[in-house]
Amino acid sequence: MNWNLFVTELVAGITHGSVYALIALGFSMVYGILKLLNFAHGDIYMIGSFIGYGLIVVFGGATHLHVNVVLLLTLMFLCAMLGGGLVGVMVERFAYRRLRNAPRIAPLITALGVSFFLENGAQLVLGAQFQSYDSFSWSNTAIASRHFTLPAHANVSYAQVIVVVGAIVLMVALTLFVQRTQTGKAMRATAFDREAAAMMGIDVDRVIVVAFFIGSALAGAAGVFNGIAYQQVWPYMGFQAGLFAFTAAVVGGIGNLPGAVLGGLLIGLAESFATGYLSSTFQQAIVFALLIVVMLVRPSGLLGSAAVQKV
Amino acid sequence: MDGGKDIDPVPARPDEAQDPSRIGVDDWVASHEGRRDRGEGLLAEIRTELERVPRPAFFAGFGVAAALLPLFTSNDYIVRVGFDTLLYMLLALGLNIVVGYAGLLDLGYVAFYGFGAYGYAMLASPKFGLHWDTLAIIPVVVVATAILGFLVALPSRRLLGDYLAIVTLFFGQLFVTVYQNGNRISFLGLTRSYDLTGGPNGIPDVDNYDLGGLHIGSVRGYYYVALIIFLLVLGCVYLVDLSRTGRAWKSLREDPLAAELMGIPVKRLKLIAFACGAGIAGLTGTLFAGLNTAVFSANFDVATLIIVYAILILGGAGSLGGVILGALVVNVSLEVLRTPGHATWIFYVVLAATLIAKVRPWKRLAVLLVATIGLGYAAHAIVSSAWPRGVEGSASVGGWFGDGLNGWELHPSNPRFIGNLAFVALVFAVLLLTMIDGWKRLAALVPTLYLASFVWENRLVVEPSITRLILIGVILIVLMNARPQGLLGTSRVEIV
Amino acid sequence: MVTRVGLVALVGALAVVAAGCGSSSKSGTTTAASGGGACSSTVSLGMLAPITGPAGSIGSDQLHWAQFFVSNWNADSANSPKLKLVQGDTQLDPAKASTVAQSFASNKAIVGVIGPAGSDEVEATTPIFVKAGLATASGSATRVSLTAGKWKGYFFRDVPNDGVQGPTDAEYMTSTLKVAKGDTVMVVDDQESYSTGLADIVGKELKDKGVTVDRESISQKATDFASLIAKVSASTKVVFLPFQLASQAQLFAQQLKAQGKTAVVFGSDGTFDSSKFNANGSYISFFAPDVTTLAAAKDTVTAFNKQFPGGTSPFGAPNYVLAQAYAEAISSVCKDGNDPTRDNVRAALAKVDLSDTLLGTPISFTANGDVAGAKFHIFKIENGKYVTLQ
Repeated sequence: MNWNLFVTELVAGITHGSVYALIALGFSMVYGILKLLNFAHGDIYMIGSFIGYGLIVVFGGATHLHVNVVLLLTLMFLCAMLGGGLVGVMVERFAYRRLRNAPRIAPLITALGVSFFLENGAQLVLGAQFQSYDSFSWSNTAIASRHFTLPAHANVSYAQVIVVVGAIVLMVALTLFVQRTQTGKAMRATAFDREAAAMMGIDVDRVIVVAFFIGSALAGAAGVFNGIAYQQVWPYMGFQAGLFAFTAAVVGGIGNLPGAVLGGLLIGLAESFATGYLSSTFQQAIVFALLIVVMLVRPSGLLGSAAVQKV
Repeated sequence: MDGGKDIDPVPARPDEAQDPSRIGVDDWVASHEGRRDRGEGLLAEIRTELERVPRPAFFAGFGVAAALLPLFTSNDYIVRVGFDTLLYMLLALGLNIVVGYAGLLDLGYVAFYGFGAYGYAMLASPKFGLHWDTLAIIPVVVVATAILGFLVALPSRRLLGDYLAIVTLFFGQLFVTVYQNGNRISFLGLTRSYDLTGGPNGIPDVDNYDLGGLHIGSVRGYYYVALIIFLLVLGCVYLVDLSRTGRAWKSLREDPLAAELMGIPVKRLKLIAFACGAGIAGLTGTLFAGLNTAVFSANFDVATLIIVYAILILGGAGSLGGVILGALVVNVSLEVLRTPGHATWIFYVVLAATLIAKVRPWKRLAVLLVATIGLGYAAHAIVSSAWPRGVEGSASVGGWFGDGLNGWELHPSNPRFIGNLAFVALVFAVLLLTMIDGWKRLAALVPTLYLASFVWENRLVVEPSITRLILIGVILIVLMNARPQGLLGTSRVEIV
Repeated sequence: MVTRVGLVALVGALAVVAAGCGSSSKSGTTTAASGGGACSSTVSLGMLAPITGPAGSIGSDQLHWAQFFVSNWNADSANSPKLKLVQGDTQLDPAKASTVAQSFASNKAIVGVIGPAGSDEVEATTPIFVKAGLATASGSATRVSLTAGKWKGYFFRDVPNDGVQGPTDAEYMTSTLKVAKGDTVMVVDDQESYSTGLADIVGKELKDKGVTVDRESISQKATDFASLIAKVSASTKVVFLPFQLASQAQLFAQQLKAQGKTAVVFGSDGTFDSSKFNANGSYISFFAPDVTTLAAAKDTVTAFNKQFPGGTSPFGAPNYVLAQAYAEAISSVCKDGNDPTRDNVRAALAKVDLSDTLLGTPISFTANGDVAGAKFHIFKIENGKYVTLQ
């Protein structure tokens, strides 16, 4: 049994799955409350990634960083989350708000319009080139090169650890927020039944804005995680990510936050193990076939509850 | 809800924004009960008369207009764009059955399109040495695709709403991967590898259409074939719409549970809807393969799916006229906006039209225009004296309009950085505009218009390929916000 | 609010505007009734490239290089006639490419086409160009079969095809890198046509020499190679990456090192980009010598980067050279006293002979349209710089 292969695939899968999970979480939050398929979510992830890259450039570029790595990382996260959140709130305010009561496919197309606008606007302003975080060569600490060695000679880089730990921290923070705070309770209520929540005196507009802000902030953070671990930043990176976010969110169960995390991890692990043990060529096909089977076995998603159909 | 009070469910002006307090009422119900309140004025009278005209007459009119198009132009490009638009119309028509009639969100639809195209290519190219007659291939491919649609829908019967959507998305992506890597398919590495789809190299040298001896080789030929096929399919779909199956689909869309309780075979209807949609997509695939004489996997991915959905929903899901209008708006815009000259004209015309439509009392509009023009000349004068490089460039259009723009607008000699900043500033300015009102909005509109023209001239028109997609995005956002039910759609209330 | 009739009226108005523009633009720049340009005014060239979309980084770079040449050419008053570049975005989709190709074919002002970028697109568009009499010259389509002869005189390319690069790379691996029988080489393609063609050729060459070839594939959209790299065994000496995107090769090399693998990365010409792919110890094959060693080229590159920051993809500069070739062809037609038409530009292009180009090699075309005298140079990355080895 090739333990080295197994452990390396496991680590790779968990890391990539954590990034997917974060994007899926943000997507699922909005989805749970508004039943809105926000296809622009992936582009907010892209914006967060670019903000992180911009900070690297501001501080001297990857090979001449003159700040402490912890400070750099913290700033990157804060700015990306703030930036992503703001963009998400603006998008909600100007593109989606009027469509609250429209049939669901209308905001779908609006979201596509926002996605076109953000992607191509980014290409116009930032150029179509791939940029790189180059965390393998950071002059303060090359977090992607430095590594721990696990048993079975598998290497885990600092960057991968940061991604997984960071994702866990954010998920725990989100869970605490949703379970313990007033706003979180309001969000759960609104997700359950929007009209009833409004009748109970909950300011639904405010709840939705908060949900968009948090969801988009998570996407922004995921963008920075992606940059740290996988380096590449470019205007069309959000498209594929948005698709996976949607997949993970639905596979985990609509509106179910732990389900979204589970879905993201499942996709990440499936990709890794399919590449490692089956076929790298048909990796995508295998993952999708697996997901089809999962959905057919559990039609309401992994952790979703069967929807009670009101007559 | 309000006791015995008789609520008039339809407001006096049916085109007002959806009033959220109108719970449980939609156009479809109201119109069928004939309680639609006609508005006042000339437009309403025209609309009333237009609605008296039966649908088939509209379709026939469209058919005649489309048939005449190639006769009025010697430009093959225009005919080619017409052909592409017809293909999109066909695809949207098929998708209309699944999404518009049956209310099922199918995100793997273009896989069937690809299946039809690859099917035709495999049966009419040197790849496997088969060169069947087109009239034999088309029914085979259509039926095969319909069966495939049926098979895809079969395990998905139990799935509702978005879960069905995601499974169809998976199937779609699965197919794309198979098309993309179909030149090295081997069963789990145990058998030798088979080349079915040519992989990224696709299947080239596909035969043209050969309809019983009539060889279709030119763009114009394909245009007419596509038009005839479209009209036939349109007719069939229209008849199905009026039939029991069509009504059953619509009740399935509105409320699946109630439909089931009424005895409608919901599961069977879902399967039939998928199969019909897939069949139409397969047919369209053969047309695509016939004209392009080569099939590659790039065409059958999410990018095409997005355009088909945009067309369908923009036009109004469930509406046949909407399919035609949506395809015209989206595809023709995409093509027309490629050329910087055209795009500039459209930009200024639309801007002017919006201002005329929205800024109501003529005096206000006049003040606005005078102020904007004045601001422009003032800015030009200031900048050209203080920083001459700010006005060295030239406008993007020629003629009298361009000369006017040269004197009015700023054209820095190196506009990239400033243009980018101005673009971002413009986005914020436009968003701000939507938030304020009254005279403040008018005052803010003046610099915003100037800024918009600046960004257009210096940054957007220089990169027409990027600008065209930005504009399409803006058009989608604005149109869907203005009319969520689509251009020709009917407003529905959805029970979530 | 927006009414139905109002919307239909708006669409109708737009259609009228479009039709009006359509009929007026045709009489825009051309004076000759037979189509083409006039030596005294501007001559148009079409350019097909994937400017937006997933391959946007390659296509926009190609476009910018061609635009850079055209603007420099026009700025020099000694040059005549002036050139104009009409761009067409294909998004690397052959069907969209053929629609844009049709628009170029119908645009009487265009006398020649640069592009398209992908081999699939070439297959889809060249029949249209042949029918319209247009020359088409690609700066990145490398499939061998494109110059098999059926488009002789119409299709040109100034980059060598896979049939030259593949054997050169395989030969270098076995002779100089000492890859022996029984060793493993992992060949990874990115599921695009550029990549799979080259990967197949190299894989076959290596297999014929007795080397074990581990053939893998990863989608160009993938961002993480860690799962694939885990499969690199201890007996794998070389990983061959015929990628189109240099940044992906860089990431692969970095992750390879991070996982402690000893295999060396060998990239094809698509990865030749010193600003993006600079992992020490890697090898690259490229069809031109390193332009940064040539003083004249260096100035051009600097000026280019000032106007279009960040553009360094290897398939960009060949489009500059193609624009240059077209400019030479058109001005030679004018020197002979004729107005440029599609036919004479095509004939002149076939005879073009540029002794000194940005690529550092002279450019002329063989009878079938390939670049004459093509050979590949092998580079090694040391201290972040490209060192020429062969």
